Amino acid sequence: MSELPEDKMKHLDEMTLLLYVERQMDRARGLEVSAHTQECDACRTLLRALERESRLLTRAMLEEDEPLPSRLAQFQERARRSMQWIWGLVFGLAATGAYALYEGYIQPWQQQLEQAGFGGSNLLGLLIFQGAMWKGWQSVVTLLEVVAMVTLAGLGAMFFRRRIRRGSALALVFAGLCTMLALPTGASATEFRKGDIVTVGPEETIKGDMYVTGARRVRIEGTVDGDLIVFCESLDVSGHVAGDVINFSQSARISGRVDGNVRGANNNLTITGTVSKNVLTFEETLTIDPAGKVGGSLTNVSANLGMEGSVGRDALLFAAHANLDGKIGGGVRVKGDSLSIGSAAVIDGPVHFEGRNRPEVSSSAKLASPVDFKQMEKKASYRESSYYVWQVIWAAAFILFGLVLFSLMPKFAQDTVVAAEQIGVTSGLGVLVLFGVPIAACIACITVVGLFIGLSTLFVWYASLYFAQIIVGAVVGQWLMGRTSELWPLIGRMAVGLAIVRLCTTIPHVGGWVKFAAILWGIGAISLSIYRRFQPVMAPSGPAAPYTPPMPPNTTLGGAQPA
Amino acid sequence: MNAPGITEPTEVITRARAGDAEAWGQLYHDYAPAIFRFCRRALPTREDAEDATMEIFMKLKSKLVQYDATRSFSAWLYKVAANHCWDMLRRRKIRQDKETDDLENVPLEHPDPSQLEQLIEQRTSEEVRKALDKMGGRARMALVMRYYSDMSYDEIADALGVRRAFVGVVLLRARHELRQALEGNAALAAGGVS
Repeated sequence: MSELPEDKMKHLDEMTLLLYVERQMDRARGLEVSAHTQECDACRTLLRALERESRLLTRAMLEEDEPLPSRLAQFQERARRSMQWIWGLVFGLAATGAYALYEGYIQPWQQQLEQAGFGGSNLLGLLIFQGAMWKGWQSVVTLLEVVAMVTLAGLGAMFFRRRIRRGSALALVFAGLCTMLALPTGASATEFRKGDIVTVGPEETIKGDMYVTGARRVRIEGTVDGDLIVFCESLDVSGHVAGDVINFSQSARISGRVDGNVRGANNNLTITGTVSKNVLTFEETLTIDPAGKVGGSLTNVSANLGMEGSVGRDALLFAAHANLDGKIGGGVRVKGDSLSIGSAAVIDGPVHFEGRNRPEVSSSAKLASPVDFKQMEKKASYRESSYYVWQVIWAAAFILFGLVLFSLMPKFAQDTVVAAEQIGVTSGLGVLVLFGVPIAACIACITVVGLFIGLSTLFVWYASLYFAQIIVGAVVGQWLMGRTSELWPLIGRMAVGLAIVRLCTTIPHVGGWVKFAAILWGIGAISLSIYRRFQPVMAPSGPAAPYTPPMPPNTTLGGAQPA
Repeated sequence: MNAPGITEPTEVITRARAGDAEAWGQLYHDYAPAIFRFCRRALPTREDAEDATMEIFMKLKSKLVQYDATRSFSAWLYKVAANHCWDMLRRRKIRQDKETDDLENVPLEHPDPSQLEQLIEQRTSEEVRKALDKMGGRARMALVMRYYSDMSYDEIADALGVRRAFVGVVLLRARHELRQALEGNAALAAGGVS
């Protein structure tokens, strides 16, 4: 050090002085520096300058030159209310639980009472269909539309979270739904019928909606001046329904007139009468007789479809076997095994068919253009060796898909992988989303306003089934090769993990369950990540920055520097 | 190392850890301004600082269970903030990618004490803050951790991922960079004291 006679002309280097200023020296070294600076003007000046520099830095740092931005101030409000969404969820789940309780215990008990002679109508039906809210909208919406609207409102509340307090909105939606259902019965024109055979006679007119449940046979020969909602074994509408017909039955026949839409799910549906608006149904067999007429569009999922009547607009058909021998005012899109177009067919728009067999088109059929046919490829059998070749190809495709997704959405992908580490939460959420979303989407599809959103949701849901496996692959890869927060190493881990996951899914008997578990887990992680993205207060705990173990304390640095 | 004017909110932290939204809001109210200023000094833009502040508090919600109540909450919070900001800079490639081995070998030029003193005398806090904006990520981060949040050399070493022995070098280099930014050139760094 500089105190030695031969070092008189040497000065302390800046690092030594800085460490002295910063009190990072051991006591002995500090005393040496102190002694030197008392004798050396240059070093004392530099020491003073460094001290002033420290003060200037501290002052510059600590000065409150900017107020807290309003965005952050608002975030504080949101943070205060962050737990409210949980109450909304709890409320909704409680309502679901109450319904399950009703279905499981109260209703059977009620039925026993009825059998014992204490008659009464369906309690839930009363709650739903005689609520004040319901009656206010009875000419516009159906029950399913109400549910779909509530679903959409919930989604809207979540996605437009920046403008509204999401937690409150969600709680409000659930509360609104339950309140709507639970409102006391007002003056109501809704007709409730129960019984083995329910008949509306030719001279009879039901003023308002008609709701039938638990019946074996329902015959509408008169007039329903509103919607007809039916849950039964057999439905026959030979009269007039001024509103929509929503039916879930084994067989249904519409030989009368329906001024609204026909929607539902049946084993067999036959239309020999007139439906003024659209038909959207799911069944084993749909038949539209030559006299049958649909004023709007026809959307149908069925095993067998026979259409000899007329459809005013487009037809979208997912039918294993479709036979078109009537008039269609718009285009036709069919997907299935076979398509037959008969001699009486008149189709004003283009016809697209994707199927296993070539379409049979009568030369007498009047088509706007030739049928656009696309051959559907046959899938490999599980028992064939080519199945495993396909598995390899699929694994490669998955990796490619994952590569694209991780590259396009690196932050989201990383967040999702982090979220997936919470296995319990994500698996639970996965169950909810895997089953809940398609149900909600299908409900939304039944309504006209929700069709687009419902189909979009189904599409996203379907894509997420694949993405889920990629996420699980990334997590497995991280287990094997260690954690990383870098994108490309993560992609590498995803590829390795995905190959393993896909390999596990090919194991006979077990593979299906592995795949199912992976989808549950992954889709839960995706949902959690999406939720966190739209829910600032519940963000994931990101991976910590890589640390280097610190040196032992009191380690010092620097020394004398020759002048 | 508390946020200015804030005493250790032991009870509030306990309630926040238990999921009390009000307590959580109180924590945010007390510490958000300090964390925002930390981020504002450490990150290139105001928007980055706002985003980082929100993200830090989001992260805090899940990390709060890891907090050791026997230690200073502010110090722990600043550590979380420093890690987050540094991670953010690193992801954006703003971070200087100089290896610590290089740092060891880079000679540091000795300043002229009187010129340095003159420079420090003439500069205002605002000028220092503007100069910070021109600095590299690592240097800036080191200065903020040391002179804003009063983090120890060990904590800085942890956050930056360097050995503790190099923290002094990082800080000294940062000061040189700051002086150059204040001066607009490297004139001050030239020359010796002999």
